[in-house]
Amino acid sequence: MTKEHPSQGKTVGVRQSPGKSFLLALPMMLLTLMMMSGGKIPADPQRLFVFAVTYLFFNLLFFLMIHTGKTDRYRATAFITYALLFIVSFISHMFEARGSMSLSEEKIILCEVPFCHLVIPMTLIPAALTKTIIFPGMITGGFASIASMFTIWIGASLSLGRGWCSWGCFFGGLDDAFSRILKKPLLRKIDPRWTYLPWAVLLAVVLTAAAFLSPTYCTWLCPFKTVTEFQAVTSFKILVQTIIFVSLFIALVIVLPLLTKRRTQCSLFCPFGAMQGLTNRINVFDVRIDPHICTNCKRCVKACPTLSVTEESVRAGRPLMSCMKCGTCVDVCPSGAAAFHVRGTPVEGNRNIKRLLFLYAAFLFLAIFSGGTIQDGLSRIIRLITTGSMI
Amino acid sequence: MKRARNIAGYAWAVACVVAVLATFIGNDYFSAKLASATGVTISPWYSGGEIVRSIDHGAYRTVIRRPVFDGLIGERKEGFIQIEWQPVTALPPVIEDGIDFTGDGKEDFAFRLDTIAGRGTLTPRNPSVIAVETLVKVNQGWVARIQLRKVS
Repeated sequence: MTKEHPSQGKTVGVRQSPGKSFLLALPMMLLTLMMMSGGKIPADPQRLFVFAVTYLFFNLLFFLMIHTGKTDRYRATAFITYALLFIVSFISHMFEARGSMSLSEEKIILCEVPFCHLVIPMTLIPAALTKTIIFPGMITGGFASIASMFTIWIGASLSLGRGWCSWGCFFGGLDDAFSRILKKPLLRKIDPRWTYLPWAVLLAVVLTAAAFLSPTYCTWLCPFKTVTEFQAVTSFKILVQTIIFVSLFIALVIVLPLLTKRRTQCSLFCPFGAMQGLTNRINVFDVRIDPHICTNCKRCVKACPTLSVTEESVRAGRPLMSCMKCGTCVDVCPSGAAAFHVRGTPVEGNRNIKRLLFLYAAFLFLAIFSGGTIQDGLSRIIRLITTGSMI
Repeated sequence: MKRARNIAGYAWAVACVVAVLATFIGNDYFSAKLASATGVTISPWYSGGEIVRSIDHGAYRTVIRRPVFDGLIGERKEGFIQIEWQPVTALPPVIEDGIDFTGDGKEDFAFRLDTIAGRGTLTPRNPSVIAVETLVKVNQGWVARIQLRKVS
């Protein structure tokens, strides 16, 4: 482990030698091999190739995380790849099954719409009071069933808290990607009061969903319908809904992340993200800023893509509840004051062990959850190159 | 005390790694358990409500579901009733059905379904029957949702 002096202006890292990095990455290699293969290596050459590429991709990134001591750039590489290939895979499936991205009335009537975690906050009150789920999906079985997504959400909340938004969400990689395109932000000042907006959206969608027994965020606001599935425009009402969600996608997922270098959709709008912030309170992993080491350079405040690190929170020694544990502040901190932390343990304890424990949980979640989708997305791209069609 | 908190913290952190594995390895099991333990079902606003009657016409049948007025607490003023004709392969070109969903022995509405043109004509015989909300062909047959309003 090496530590460089802050006055040298270099990041304090937890670099490991290649040999030690390999040994520390070995458990991840074995676990991802077991989980991604399901105990069976594909026999078909193309599937084997895609499996090998995905497996090596993840394990190389994890090795580099350990070797370089940097988290965010390797996390973002996997996370953004996941989001992009999720879209490739999902849209291909839609075209294969329905011939278009539009959601037919038939699928709604038959309750065969894939369930997504963003619906969860809206389902809770109706589920508690009526014992029903206000979504046209399947409770169990089939693709993306409701119980399956709830199980994954519970697992993610217990193991990562709001880390889900940087390590699990298949949409988050989109605004993460756009927020990285420009080197410097064109819009620097964001009024911190905007960070209350996701709570307002959460309250509004939860109450309207309960009142109308309809997932109002999905119907009216969800920007990600633009890149997944949406209702065919058959009425003026659906046309208005389409204009709203496409506009929100352009504004919150593309334009604002580009201009501000912040994940605006995730940190300033997403109601699920706001709710997920509550799970940070019960999660064992968090980020701490050691006031004894902090030089108050404010790099973390400027770099945090989710506006979770403020001057007050630095003084308090921890980011806000909205922290998505992406590791940006930890990576940019020149004095090593910001670090991943395990609750109950002293802040100044062995940081490398705490970081490793978090990375094992978070990266394993990302690799397992996205592995199948990335393989499918890659297969579709290979099919497109070789046959001219993804379907 | 500090040492105990330290050990508990690290043990909990290791348990999180195990929780990640359990989430995926046991997903089918946990999903089934979650569904059965909570007993949740799909809202009748989407599923169409429970089947209350099935009328056998020989080659095909008419399935009548319960009227749905369910609200978060109590009932709403407006709702619907879902009628289905199945199987799709045995349906005649034109179906004419009289539906009594109130169970009073009187027809509440008549419905004429043209399975070739995909058109439905509703003739209300009860003031609570408003209009055709949805008429759609699914893989098992045809489904119609008829808009209803509670009449006191």
